[in-house]
Amino acid sequence: NGAGFSKVRGSQSGQDSTRWHVVKKFLGLISSHNIPVFLIDPLILGLVDKDIEEIRSSPDGPSPECKYFCAPRDFTTFALLDKTWKHEVGLFRAAEKMGFQWLKIINKDPRLDGMDDLSGIEIPLHYIFKLASHAIHLVVFYERSGNYLWHGPLRLKQHMDRKFVPFRKLHFGRYPGAYEKPELLLVSVDDLKVQIPKNPSSFLEEMSQSRFLECRYREARAFFQLYPDDASLDGVEFRKKAKSLLHLAVLTLNNLGVKFWLSSGTCLGWYRQCNVIPYSKDVDLGVFIRDYKADIIPAFQKAGLPLKHKFGKVEDSLELSFQGDDVKLDIFFFYEEDDHIWNGGTQAKSGKKFKYLFPKFTLCWTEFVELKVHVPCETLQYVEANYGPDWKVPVKTWDWKSSPSNVQYNGIWPVEEWDDVIQIY
Amino acid sequence: MEEWKPNAAAKPHKKRSWYLAWKYKLMNQRALRKLCQTGAVLFLLVTVIVNIKLILDTRRAAYEEEEESAQDYDDEMLNVEVHRHPVSNKKVLDVEVYSSRSKVYVAVDGTTVLEDEAREQGRGIHVIVLNQATGHVMAKRVFDTYSPHEDEAMVLFLNMVARGRILIFTIKDEGSFHLKDTAKNVLKSLGSQVAPFLSWRDMWTFVGKKGGEVYGEKHAKSPALSTWGDPVLLKTEVHLTSVEDAECHWPDTELNRRRKRFCSKVEGYGSVCSCKDPTPIEFNPDPLKDNKVFNVPVAVIAGNRPNYLYRMLRSLLSAQGVNPQMITVFIDGYYEEPMDVVELFGLSGIQHTPISIKNARVSQHYKASLTATFNLFPDAKFAVVLEEDLDISVDFFSFLSQSIHLLEEDESLYCISAWNDQGYEHTAEDPSLLYRVESMPGLGWVLRKSLYKDELEPKWPTPEKLWDWDMWMRMPEQRKGRECIIPDVSRSYHFGIVGLNMNGYFHEAYFKKHKFNTVPNVQLKNVESLRKDAYETEIHRLLGEAEVLDHSKNPCEDSFVPDTEGRVYVMFIRMEQEADFTTWTQLAKCLHIWDLDVRGNHKGLWRLFRKKNHFLVVGVPASPYSSKKPPSMTPIYMEPPAKEEGAVAVPAAAAAEQT
Repeated sequence: NGAGFSKVRGSQSGQDSTRWHVVKKFLGLISSHNIPVFLIDPLILGLVDKDIEEIRSSPDGPSPECKYFCAPRDFTTFALLDKTWKHEVGLFRAAEKMGFQWLKIINKDPRLDGMDDLSGIEIPLHYIFKLASHAIHLVVFYERSGNYLWHGPLRLKQHMDRKFVPFRKLHFGRYPGAYEKPELLLVSVDDLKVQIPKNPSSFLEEMSQSRFLECRYREARAFFQLYPDDASLDGVEFRKKAKSLLHLAVLTLNNLGVKFWLSSGTCLGWYRQCNVIPYSKDVDLGVFIRDYKADIIPAFQKAGLPLKHKFGKVEDSLELSFQGDDVKLDIFFFYEEDDHIWNGGTQAKSGKKFKYLFPKFTLCWTEFVELKVHVPCETLQYVEANYGPDWKVPVKTWDWKSSPSNVQYNGIWPVEEWDDVIQIY
Repeated sequence: MEEWKPNAAAKPHKKRSWYLAWKYKLMNQRALRKLCQTGAVLFLLVTVIVNIKLILDTRRAAYEEEEESAQDYDDEMLNVEVHRHPVSNKKVLDVEVYSSRSKVYVAVDGTTVLEDEAREQGRGIHVIVLNQATGHVMAKRVFDTYSPHEDEAMVLFLNMVARGRILIFTIKDEGSFHLKDTAKNVLKSLGSQVAPFLSWRDMWTFVGKKGGEVYGEKHAKSPALSTWGDPVLLKTEVHLTSVEDAECHWPDTELNRRRKRFCSKVEGYGSVCSCKDPTPIEFNPDPLKDNKVFNVPVAVIAGNRPNYLYRMLRSLLSAQGVNPQMITVFIDGYYEEPMDVVELFGLSGIQHTPISIKNARVSQHYKASLTATFNLFPDAKFAVVLEEDLDISVDFFSFLSQSIHLLEEDESLYCISAWNDQGYEHTAEDPSLLYRVESMPGLGWVLRKSLYKDELEPKWPTPEKLWDWDMWMRMPEQRKGRECIIPDVSRSYHFGIVGLNMNGYFHEAYFKKHKFNTVPNVQLKNVESLRKDAYETEIHRLLGEAEVLDHSKNPCEDSFVPDTEGRVYVMFIRMEQEADFTTWTQLAKCLHIWDLDVRGNHKGLWRLFRKKNHFLVVGVPASPYSSKKPPSMTPIYMEPPAKEEGAVAVPAAAAAEQT
């Protein structure tokens, strides 16, 4: 069927049956080794997404024309879940027999990177199978603590063939990425049976914001050399509580679909020591004001975290505090301006307003206390704005009104508004 | 393991040997004063044990070190013959072997492949195996044949070595005291003429081919009990064979490629490397139906005991329901040979930079291994923790599959362990029976992720605290009154004799006679009755049915328990409060079960078997089950022996820890 089909397609102008043939061969190879891969090629998924209803409803139907796999491209990208296959050399021998050239890109296992004393075990991150003028880019995804999938960056080592394929054009590998575990769907497109993410458009949306930052484990180790960790019972207990509060907060905000990031001391803890700062007393999150939802407060209350105080209003300097088990959760709302981003603070007794200025930033994923969470990608600027150039030195006495290097006095709330903008429970 | 490759750039042979010989002799002299001091003390101890040897030993040769000044050395330097044939086309190896009281070394073509001059270690017979075609070092072992049973290990090892390999022997300090006739005969069969007559503090070197020619042997008799034989230096040549002759010709499969890689590198693993019908390295045991632990990661904690690891992994991979993809071997240190074993079986292994020393090092290795396990398998709710010196029962995973839901659902549980501390040949009977115990046996156990992540990991003892991880886990601050589930008949067997807290005597006394289940697919009995409340009901039922034994008899005597089978008996011992184990310890001692600390109890109740009858021991009045005691009956009290006796019973260092 496939051969006949491709003859027709191959003759059409602008179409490339080579690609279709290579993909078909590759799918045959991996299915004969029982390796479940799924399609993550953004260009094909984009096309597939437009016809998704039709494709879903006819999982076996023959295709009248080659719509997806015949556009001439250098690559087609697939994903592989590491835990679903054994690293058998048989696959590569078989690939060679079929005429594939292949390249394996390995690097340190980040799951063991945080552990100072395990030697750098290297794991395969990317494979490239090349046949004729087309290449299959196989991205290896790993499950990590925090119930998400991770893929590594693609970095060539010294001796590698830099011209094996045009690496710069690859869609995956410029940065490491983090994804939710996608639900998969087996479909037939262009007479090829492939697994695709059940919802291609949300996968593509995720892909555009998938950049992942690894915690700076080496620097964190150096930090603890200088300032030994607090191993006291109180420290251990606080961390445990902060961790469980953060887990609850992440669950609540994710359920609401509110995007957030680690802010203030919690962000500093991640960046400086890859852990909760044991004397920090609270957990801090940032949310863009455009993502504010009125049901945040009831959702937290339902989760067992009563509102402790609410300062400001949606239009200006909003912040919310919820009371956890001995640990407070602060949510600061951030307001975007042309050249900076800021959030506000309010002193309850005086009605004084403060403003904290940050350079503009984007969001990246990271892993923190077994959670997949956002942090500002430009973390250093963010932390330096907040804590100044000496952020590496632990400070135990902190006044939020004067200590931060980016604090500005921002006037006083009009007395008639106090009931609204200063609510304490 | 150090590797040696024929090397054209190797140092000139003679220069090396003169230098080493000079260096070692000088060092010996320095040690002489110290030697005489300790010699006097040792003499007293040794006379008692070896007075028979004294009669035999009549020679009184003067102990005199050969003088050799630095000037002589310098002169020699000038006279050294520098020219050598290139090594690459050479079919002959120069081998030097040195044996002395305080150091040994072996050099092959000028490259030192063994050099041990550390104080107070490395005593006994050092053995090196070379590949007969390449000259590579394939194995390096030391057997402390001054101590019991080490000679048996050496015999076992030598039998494992393939025919044709080059064997090199040298003694450091003392290697004859527990070198029995069997071992001497094996050495004799290898061509040694001296081995049958090796005696106290003799120095000895020997080079020969297994099943073939002898390349050289040197011996120096000890002149007196308090002194050592003169150092001996053997220099000889070994003729290499062709690579073809040294390798096996197995069919070219992926498994055999792994085998070949392994067998050309290391020695001492016997039939796995035999050319004809090698033993399999893939086992394909029957899968388990409804296997609840198929996706539970298995962490194997290993050190540098590759032969143990080999035996352990064989039994693990043969257990029904094993999932090799979930196994990770954590090696404490950058040792090559354990990693070779891991790769032979196609498993994944991770090496761990050693941190701290002794017990703390083990403890840090455990922590790193557990953290890594949960990082690598983030979905896992549990981890199975094994050690390299355990045999794993064929129904190990079946046992866990049937019981793991309890660990998930019953918060009063701390672990599931495959090991029953009190399960000896004469005290364990029923492979389908489970207990709840207040102790944490270890030796093959299941850890709940939440326990590790939320409680243990954050406050795990730091490297500077020299704590045993298992002792720490047993402390009330950690255990918090929770219990472990164990089988009556253990699903693991502790075969390790060499270890941090292990020696031959200790192993024989406490581990050798441990019962180990060999029956496949045992259906566990009444698993639900192991839940917290149900277990109390079960105990009351058992006690209700139990016949009270005659307390006027001696509980240590066999006749204390009637000659019946399948009955339930109960005895009551004195136990004033929760921590009063005076009588229990004496009872445990005379029953020849674990008595070094208290194990296997549940609220002042111990359950075991005697003469195939279930035998319950209740501590009165501390145990809540004391009410079952007939009012008129006096609980048995056994007095501890006088202090000195108690102290002699078990070496103190060994008593510190079980695992």
